Amino acid sequence: MLCEILQVITRESLLVAQREDLRRVMEMLNLSEQHARTLLIYHRWDVEKVFAVFVEKGKDKLFGEAGVTAKSCKIKHAPAAMTCEVCMEDIPKHKATTMDCGHCFCNNCWTEHFVVKINEGKSRRITCMAYKCTAICDEAIVRNLVSARDPDLAERFERFLLESYIEDNQRVKWCPSVPHCGNAIRVEDEKLCEVECTCGVQFCFSCSSEAHSPCSCLMWELWVKKCRDESETVNWITVNTKSCPKCYKSVEKNGGCNLVSCICGQSFCWLCGGATGREHTWTSIAGHSCGRFKEDQEKQAERAKRDLNRYMHYHNRYKAHTDSFKLESKLKETIESQILMLEGKESELKDFSWLTNGLNRLFRSRRVLSYSYPFAFYMFGEDLFGDEMTPVEREMKQNLFEDQQQQLEENVEKLSKALEEKYDGLEDDNLKQSRMQLINLSVITDRLCKSMYECIENDLLGSLKLATHNIAAYKSKGVERASELLVRATKGNNSISCLQTSSSISATGGTVEVGRSSSSSLNFENGCPSRKRSKREAFGNVLFDLNLPAEVIDKS
Amino acid sequence: MQINTDDAILSIHLLVVPHLQASRARLFKEYKEVQREKVADPDIQLVCDDTNIFKWTALIKGPSETPYEGGIFQLAFAVPEQYPLQPPQVRFLTKIFHPNVHFKTGEICLDILKTAWSPAWTLQSVCRAIIALMAHPEADSPLNCDSGNLLRSGDLRGYQSMARMYTKLAAMPKKG
Ligand SMILES: [Zn+2]
Ligand SMILES: [Zn+2]
Ligand SMILES: [Zn+2]
Ligand SMILES: [Zn+2]
Ligand SMILES: [Zn+2]
Ligand SMILES: [Zn+2]
Ligand SMILES: [Zn+2]
Repeated sequence: MLCEILQVITRESLLVAQREDLRRVMEMLNLSEQHARTLLIYHRWDVEKVFAVFVEKGKDKLFGEAGVTAKSCKIKHAPAAMTCEVCMEDIPKHKATTMDCGHCFCNNCWTEHFVVKINEGKSRRITCMAYKCTAICDEAIVRNLVSARDPDLAERFERFLLESYIEDNQRVKWCPSVPHCGNAIRVEDEKLCEVECTCGVQFCFSCSSEAHSPCSCLMWELWVKKCRDESETVNWITVNTKSCPKCYKSVEKNGGCNLVSCICGQSFCWLCGGATGREHTWTSIAGHSCGRFKEDQEKQAERAKRDLNRYMHYHNRYKAHTDSFKLESKLKETIESQILMLEGKESELKDFSWLTNGLNRLFRSRRVLSYSYPFAFYMFGEDLFGDEMTPVEREMKQNLFEDQQQQLEENVEKLSKALEEKYDGLEDDNLKQSRMQLINLSVITDRLCKSMYECIENDLLGSLKLATHNIAAYKSKGVERASELLVRATKGNNSISCLQTSSSISATGGTVEVGRSSSSSLNFENGCPSRKRSKREAFGNVLFDLNLPAEVIDKS
Repeated sequence: MQINTDDAILSIHLLVVPHLQASRARLFKEYKEVQREKVADPDIQLVCDDTNIFKWTALIKGPSETPYEGGIFQLAFAVPEQYPLQPPQVRFLTKIFHPNVHFKTGEICLDILKTAWSPAWTLQSVCRAIIALMAHPEADSPLNCDSGNLLRSGDLRGYQSMARMYTKLAAMPKKG
């Protein structure tokens, strides 16, 4: 199976990554950079999609949909003065601007319009002011007019355009780390996967929350909400307690008839909560006529109770495994120091990677195990797939799954126990035996994880007719790690010559400093979605100013 | 609470001052234009509030050959500070039975007042668009579900007689 190519886009490589896509579209369709950008923003930075639309629907359709207007030659020779339709002033020609679509307004009104749109966060698609005109305004005109009025805002405009590569790109996602590490991840093909950023955070690429397979994104979202909501406890209280009509303390009912008494001495009817006398039978309370007794109500209470118990069952196990995971994280240090000790000892065994491998196997399978509980909660519950299975089917499938889950659970615990052994105190023979045992356990757990995923994908989720739930595939090696997108700047050449992935990052090229220096800091206060980060980033010895348009960097 | 003066100044500079000026200037232009056009468009009478240039009212004539014929309908305009970059809010003050007008609030569902707004529209042209909407209701995006349903279900006569009735009740000068 092919691995996805995962790349981390750092602040440094963002510009380069974006320019690569821009260049492909510019070259292929013979377009200016801004028109290429408009097309790519419209198609969420999917270069192949742009080409596909071009081939299937033709140039006019491609441009029209996205709001690209190729410069038309039919711009009438404007008279020396015109009346701007927005401010209704008479404007000399040199103070008005005509967009590619042919619409002309005064520079003041254009500027106002741009300022409003940028402040609204719509920098990426500022359309013309004319009625029903969907043409996207010329980037260069926006840049010039806005920077004349407000250079800070013009910088924000550039930043928005640049970050569009991340925000509007279906193959790129910000790393969800808090505080933010500044990175974004780009995947090559598979959008349903789990990734690890270079900052160490692992997340689900499709929903940006923590890696959660074998739960589907929807299951995970529901589960997180359920765990956070206190409604479950609230439910319990309404099912099991009622407040006394006299002193308002809550009174619990533990079986028996519907007359309950509070410690204050007050008796009341459990069904309606009304105060009563003490004289009663199973079906009635003397002097109390209460129309609220319905079998229904009892059934509802029963059901709520059953649901709650079910949730508690799964939650407890989920929680237990997450807790174990946290405890076991501490094992890492112990194992590492043991390896150091062992390496220092006179022994036949030289390589102790089996210990680290075993530990990593434990981490991975423990994760799978803990997330398998919320999965089971939804898979065999009624919230999501109530109509998908008959009770008999459900029971069969649940048995099948729980069998596998139990086997995995047993072996994970064995593995955990095995890793607590004091390996550095063992003689060679015992050490070899323990090594075999650990390797065996690792292999078994890996195989069990794999077959549990197979069962989920084929027998459980795969057999659904109505709903589609997809999960990130199981990877023996663990969550895929992203590597840095390497930027190589070539001196003297106009374009950045190549993009490479590499696990190590090294800067080549001479000392090229591009961009102007500016001491003003950016203002993000007006609801700007951009992440805070310093404006100018050093990359090796090459400096890029993220806020400058690509041409400026080219020119230097 | 501490107020960061730098931010306050910046936001005033960015948002409030230029637009307030621009919108005032533009509304003043429209005011002058309206004075001139009064003769030209007898169906629309736009009046600016004496004390607040951001508040306008309009009297429009119900278009002929519609159930609104003969009625005079009053509209209220609330113009935002960012006008004309943002659309004015308009509602009917006169009760009207129309699928695209909220029966209780008088709110109007019209694309140019929302997503399709262009700064090149004026209060006057908005009035014209509303008159056009009165003549050609859009049953598919109704704010008034009853009249929308009547229209959609093809009960044109039911719709017309209701609309006619309300025009008589609310939009015609009482005789006597
Ligand atoms: Zn103007
Ligand atoms: Zn235009
Ligand atoms: Zn990160
Ligand atoms: Zn997800
Ligand atoms: Zn009590
Ligand atoms: Zn009893
Ligand atoms: Zn009762």
